[in-house]
Order: sequence, then C-alpha cells, then structure tokens
Amino acid sequence: MRARVFVTLKPSVFDPQGRTVTDALHTLGYSAVRDVRQGKYFELEIDAQRPEDARKLAAEAADKLLSNPVIESYRIEIADEVTA
Amino acid sequence: MKFAVVVFPGSNCDHDAHYAAQHVLGQQAEYIWHKETSLKSADVVILPGGFAHGDYLRTGAIARFSPIMAEVQKFAAAGGPVLGICNGFQVLLEAGLLPGAMLRNRSVKFQCEHVLIKVEQTDTPFTAACRVGQVLRIPIAHGEGNFYAEPHVVARLERNRQVVFRYTNTEGVATEDSNPNGSVANIAGLCNEQRNVVGLMPHPERACEMALGSADGLVLFESAVKAVSEGAFSTAKAVAAAR
Repeated sequence: MRARVFVTLKPSVFDPQGRTVTDALHTLGYSAVRDVRQGKYFELEIDAQRPEDARKLAAEAADKLLSNPVIESYRIEIADEVTA
Repeated sequence: MKFAVVVFPGSNCDHDAHYAAQHVLGQQAEYIWHKETSLKSADVVILPGGFAHGDYLRTGAIARFSPIMAEVQKFAAAGGPVLGICNGFQVLLEAGLLPGAMLRNRSVKFQCEHVLIKVEQTDTPFTAACRVGQVLRIPIAHGEGNFYAEPHVVARLERNRQVVFRYTNTEGVATEDSNPNGSVANIAGLCNEQRNVVGLMPHPERACEMALGSADGLVLFESAVKAVSEGAFSTAKAVAAAR
C-alpha cells in the first residue's frame, strides 16, 4: 500500500526558499503568483492490510522522523483511498 | 580531564575539536564513533560540526537516532557538560536536548565568514571562563543556521537566561546588520534549563590559535576545563552513579 506524506513549513514559519522561488517566478513574469511555500514529498510503500493501518504507520513515521513538529506540519494520503 | 568528540558519518570538524582539546589545551581527547554505546568515562562531550548523514531529510534529523545519542541523552540528563557546535547544535535541537529548530539562512546561501557574538551568560560549563558581555570573533559556516522558535518559547528562553550567545556588533549590540542568518532575536547559541547542554552555530574550535585568524574560541574549551575541575558540573562519574 502506498502512503503519500506531504511535509510543509507551518504557516507561521518564514520560508526563505519559497520566498526565493516566488522572486524568481516574478522575474520570469509570473506576477500572478502571490506566494510559494516549499515542502517535502515522501512516498512510503507499506506492507499493510487496511488503509487505516497504513495511515497509522505513516503518521508515526511523520511524527518521529519525516517532519520536525517545531517548524513543520504534514498531510497523509493513502493511494488506495484516492483511487477507490 | 577527558573530552569525547562524537564522530558521525559526515562530521568534518571532529579533528578541529579534538585538536583544540588535546593540542591547544593539553587535555585528553578521544573520538567516539556514532555506533558506539559508551562515552568511555568522558568528562565533557562535544558534538562537532559537519554534515552528519549528509544532512539528508533535515540537518541532524538522522544523527539523533545514532546509537551513541542514547548515551549522550543519559550523560546530559545526569548533568554532564555537552557542547554542540554547528551541525552538533542542529543534532541537539532534533534530539530535543535544546528547544527550537533551524531554518535555511535568510540569504538562502551557505555562509562562511567571521562574525561577532556576545557572551550573555557565564553560568554554563562552556562560558565559565568568560566575562558577561565579552564579544568574541568566531567564524560561522552554515546554510541552515537561522534559529527559529515560537514567540512563547523565545520569551521563555529569555526569561530563563538560556540565550548564551547573541550575534552583535563590536559594541555588543544586537543589530539587524550583525545578524548573519536571520535568527530570531539574534540568537547564536543557547543552553538547556539545567544549563549543562550548550549549542551554538559559530565554530569556536576553528578559532583557537592566532594562526587561524582568531583565538577567541579557545575560551569555550578553557571554560569546560575550569567548570569540570571546579566540580561546577557533574561529570561522567555522575552518570555512572545515576545508573
């Protein structure tokens, strides 16, 4: 089963990389882009029978390792839930 | 007395720290590979700078799970002096031994330059030989040294006098211009509530002899020797006793 984990900086945390990408897009003429927030994306292949088991494991992994709760939050999608 | 310098795969300031302790100060120093499970009766533990585990995922994120870190946690909990320099500071943050986190530098560049930091607290094992307000000229070399903590955490750090070092100008004033990376409140280094664990982004081990352009960093190592010899901070023996 595949879990997708999206890790992003919390809204209250300044994102210097996102700021730089925003500036670059403006340089390219995309003035309609108001803001960019850069994050990380993980795909976890998980041996699990039920989507909720995969989600629980992915959440544990995100809490312990994939994200830093001081500055980041995360969102999980289970692939089978998405396609079903 | 004995310094333990933890070596992670990707540490690159381990030799500098070892050299400062052994050759400049004439103390015992020993490298401890990250897979080891003993600090070998060290009195002081140093987590050096570098790029532990390639800094994959986040700086310090993988290193905090190295086997030796369980021993470092116990040593710190028993009051043993622990110093995290640059990447070592990032490891301490990820391990929860110090509060806060590091963001990419405001400039989005890896910055390698001498900066000025003011010593604000002298009741830590790594500033015991300093004067309050002393301004040190020490190099930084990092891409992610933009210290961040939520406002209520920063307020608590200030209230508890846990901000040990701050980026300042020559007069010791924390100005916007003297802040190299965007760190909140110009914070360059801090300690835990028990004051035995200290982390800082600048590299004191790279400023221990005038041949390196500055010897201002040596006072941190001298402080450790002073603090341990005066018994101000418990040592590895305390760890053994706590077990």
